[in-house]
Amino acid sequence: MNTTTLNGIIQVIHYLFFGYAFLAISSYIILSIISAFETIEYFKKNSFVNYKKILSSDAAPSISIIAPAYNESLNIVENVRSLLSNHYVNYDVIIVNDGSKDNSLEKLIEAYDLVNIDYLINQQISTQPLRKGVYKSTNPAFEKLIVVDKENGGKADALNMGLNISNSRYVACIDVDCLLLEDALQKMVKPFLEATEKKVVATGGVIRIANSSIIKDGKLMDVNLPTKLIEKAQILEYLRSFLLGRMAWSRLNGLLVISGAFGMFDKKIAIEVGGYDTSTVGEDMEIIVRIRRYLEEKKVNYKVAYIPDPLCWTEAPDNYKIFISQRNRWTRGTIEVLRKHRKIAFNPNYRNLGLLSYPYWLIFERFAPVIEVIGIIYFGILIALNEVKWDYALAFFILAYLFTILLSLGAIFSEELTYHQYKKKKTGLKLIIISLLEPFVLHPFVLYAAVRGNLDYFFNKKKKWGEMTRKGLGKVNN
Amino acid sequence: MEIHKIIQNYFQQLPFELQLVWILSVFLSLIVVIFVVYLKILRSSLRKEEVLQEESKKRYETLLLSFLFNESEGDNASNQEIEFINIINIEINDNFNRKIIIETLLKLKNEISGEIEKNIQHIYLQSNLKSFAYQQLESENWYEIAKGIKELTQFKVEEAYSQIKILINYPKKEVQKEVQLYLVSLFHFEGLKFLSSLESDLSEWDQIELLEELKHLENQEIPEITDWLISKNDSVVMFALKLAKMYNKYENVDTLIQLMNHENQKIRLQVILVLTHLQVLDAKGVLINNFKSYSEEEQVAIFKLLENIFEPSDETFITEHIHSNNFEIQLSALKMLKSINNNTFSQLLTNKKAFENSRVLNFVQNN
Amino acid sequence: MNNKKKIVLAEDNSTLSLLLKFKLEKEGYEVLVAEDGKKAIELIEKHHPNLILTDIMMPFVSGLEVISHVRNKLNLETKIIVFSAAGQEEMVLKAFNLGASDFMAKPFSPNELTIRIKRLLP
Repeated sequence: MNTTTLNGIIQVIHYLFFGYAFLAISSYIILSIISAFETIEYFKKNSFVNYKKILSSDAAPSISIIAPAYNESLNIVENVRSLLSNHYVNYDVIIVNDGSKDNSLEKLIEAYDLVNIDYLINQQISTQPLRKGVYKSTNPAFEKLIVVDKENGGKADALNMGLNISNSRYVACIDVDCLLLEDALQKMVKPFLEATEKKVVATGGVIRIANSSIIKDGKLMDVNLPTKLIEKAQILEYLRSFLLGRMAWSRLNGLLVISGAFGMFDKKIAIEVGGYDTSTVGEDMEIIVRIRRYLEEKKVNYKVAYIPDPLCWTEAPDNYKIFISQRNRWTRGTIEVLRKHRKIAFNPNYRNLGLLSYPYWLIFERFAPVIEVIGIIYFGILIALNEVKWDYALAFFILAYLFTILLSLGAIFSEELTYHQYKKKKTGLKLIIISLLEPFVLHPFVLYAAVRGNLDYFFNKKKKWGEMTRKGLGKVNN
Repeated sequence: MEIHKIIQNYFQQLPFELQLVWILSVFLSLIVVIFVVYLKILRSSLRKEEVLQEESKKRYETLLLSFLFNESEGDNASNQEIEFINIINIEINDNFNRKIIIETLLKLKNEISGEIEKNIQHIYLQSNLKSFAYQQLESENWYEIAKGIKELTQFKVEEAYSQIKILINYPKKEVQKEVQLYLVSLFHFEGLKFLSSLESDLSEWDQIELLEELKHLENQEIPEITDWLISKNDSVVMFALKLAKMYNKYENVDTLIQLMNHENQKIRLQVILVLTHLQVLDAKGVLINNFKSYSEEEQVAIFKLLENIFEPSDETFITEHIHSNNFEIQLSALKMLKSINNNTFSQLLTNKKAFENSRVLNFVQNN
Repeated sequence: MNNKKKIVLAEDNSTLSLLLKFKLEKEGYEVLVAEDGKKAIELIEKHHPNLILTDIMMPFVSGLEVISHVRNKLNLETKIIVFSAAGQEEMVLKAFNLGASDFMAKPFSPNELTIRIKRLLP
């Protein structure tokens, strides 16, 4: 191969890299703008809605909150109390104790006066069998609570058991330690009920990070910015991804994932597609893709919606080890789901799903870390060969960095103009500082975790969920 | 200015594209700086606003309550009221204040009935508050119009009828909905007349809100819903069905049974729900005869209906379904069979092997 | 010595609770206001009121849990009047099952409430 061809190839590679970066940046800008529009419109439409009406209505549709629990005994009684105090009128709470090895069940039995009852389960989806059985309370104040003790099968399996047990029209699948605000259910169910032309089949909620916020007796008392860099950086990341990303995808009807921490589904459809997939670690994304695929194939006019209101607060990893493990799992989940459903890629039969969402996720989410690593290695080679044009490198690095900061500031702005959750003094400054630091403090670990995720996926089949040590949600300063 | 020169020289010797990049970077930096400054301003103003809001809320609360509690004596009462109205008329020229005053008034008005509620209503009508709402009706912006209508609804301003009614076909759905709520909130069933000519879809959320408004009625005149049950607009039919359930419209039973021929499955399902609520024996015949023609979902609903109105004469039909593939139908059939004919049911127990799913049998036996 | 009858009012609507406080104090009662169920229970345990007024829908601890706590954990016979937004019959039934003495649907007349209180606290 002569030098000209080699140079030619290298040029092409350079242009490909450049093109990729350019497309990525443009897509972020476009998504941010669409998100802004969508959020403002949501705000206007809902600013004078009376959510109280549905609370006293007989016509309010039934909702089941399904919360799988594994070894959550530290906080489970408080978490359940919080779930039971929701202001919606027609709902029940199904706690699925997924073969916990601790005393979660005993604690619940004691706190809520539970007794074992004979409950006939409609096995629409096959799951691991019951262990100690189904429990309900003898105290009418806790009538909404059902506790199911079953053999361990994983989160997806537990959710499926919840689906089998529920008699409601809609199910809200949540993480048991997720703090749901009192009006979360009526806000989440509204898109389903407002729909006229398109059938809404699932809605997702924004997840807010509760670290360092004060939660007392299951109620969010005080919102604080956490102290550790890693926690603060995740807050920024979540703000960007939810306020600048998912709102846009909702508008484009291209959402591929609803957070496993809080999502609401039309139960009938969830069961029709066979419930959650127990063989993947990305079950929250997988079920959305499968539902969408199913409905595209049936040619139904449907929508997956998103609510920007902060309705669910949860604990994020506060040390790098657990963080990396989490992101590693997310990476493997994404790869698994994209591979499982590769038939829809670029397939016009699947419209937006196949032509827009899937390709975008594939190219800019799944492959981004890979391309970045290749880029870094290539850059390393160039340094070694002394071939770097430092003028270019400097100029582009700075541009890229500025762009990142701008995007983060945009997210902070959106947040201030809409929900303004972080009211305390100096928080603004802290958020700005973290925008400057995030590319150094969080991103490298995200990248590392993604690489490990790729390696683990292809070479280490034994990994599954990993432990997230419960630290207790929101320490109270008494 | 050494540094200045160095930078300038460096810049000038750069290739064109890099110069562009640097210019872009400088531009972005400026935006970043502007953002940062604006953020600070925004946050502190939001903080101040919140403090002010709390203070104003307390102030207006105390003002309102002291007025409400000092008006006991005759003449003095109307003087007091005029005084109060004068005070707020001045304050409400400021949007911020007006919002809080209205909120405070509504916080009480929505929870309280009787004398005090009438007082609050009176204050609203006598003060300049309502003119602001009227102004909003004239706005170009749909959001303002909707808010104006909502306020007039909350304070039950009847004289606004003519102005609001003409907005009933306003292109934006949110406005249409507020008009509908106004009509129903103030004029109850009379206000529902718009259903007869409604072309757009009433979403389930809208229907729930309308039904809730209807619930709070002193005068329970029962509406005539037959026309709506046969409307071409499916959402109007659904709404009428909900009314049929809410007001126990037995007189419409014939129409309801007719509706089982409707092409929309959702409607047929809702009809079965209404029939279940009304416990209409007459419906049994039709539903059982046409059973096989219905979808599975409807069949399940029919069995739920049957559980309320079954008679021994239904035993044959019920027995046909004790081995149904559908879990809920099977459970329902077995429960009813046990009730009608315990002997036949007990015989089933001796031959459990015939049952693919003996769990169901066991459960019905034990419960 | 203070002979006034004590009432604990659990209501999260500040305007309404202020109004009720004024009105009832005019009638000669001493009124302690709590914005949520948790504070209400604290007040009840501290002051042993003669009567409890509580909304059902409240932050933290609901009105139903307040009733349950008073009747079952504190074993008190204190009269309890419950308010609820109209249409929540199921909630009202539960309240009575747990031991509520009376209930008033919202919107309610403060005069009517006063009459009922007088009836329960002769």
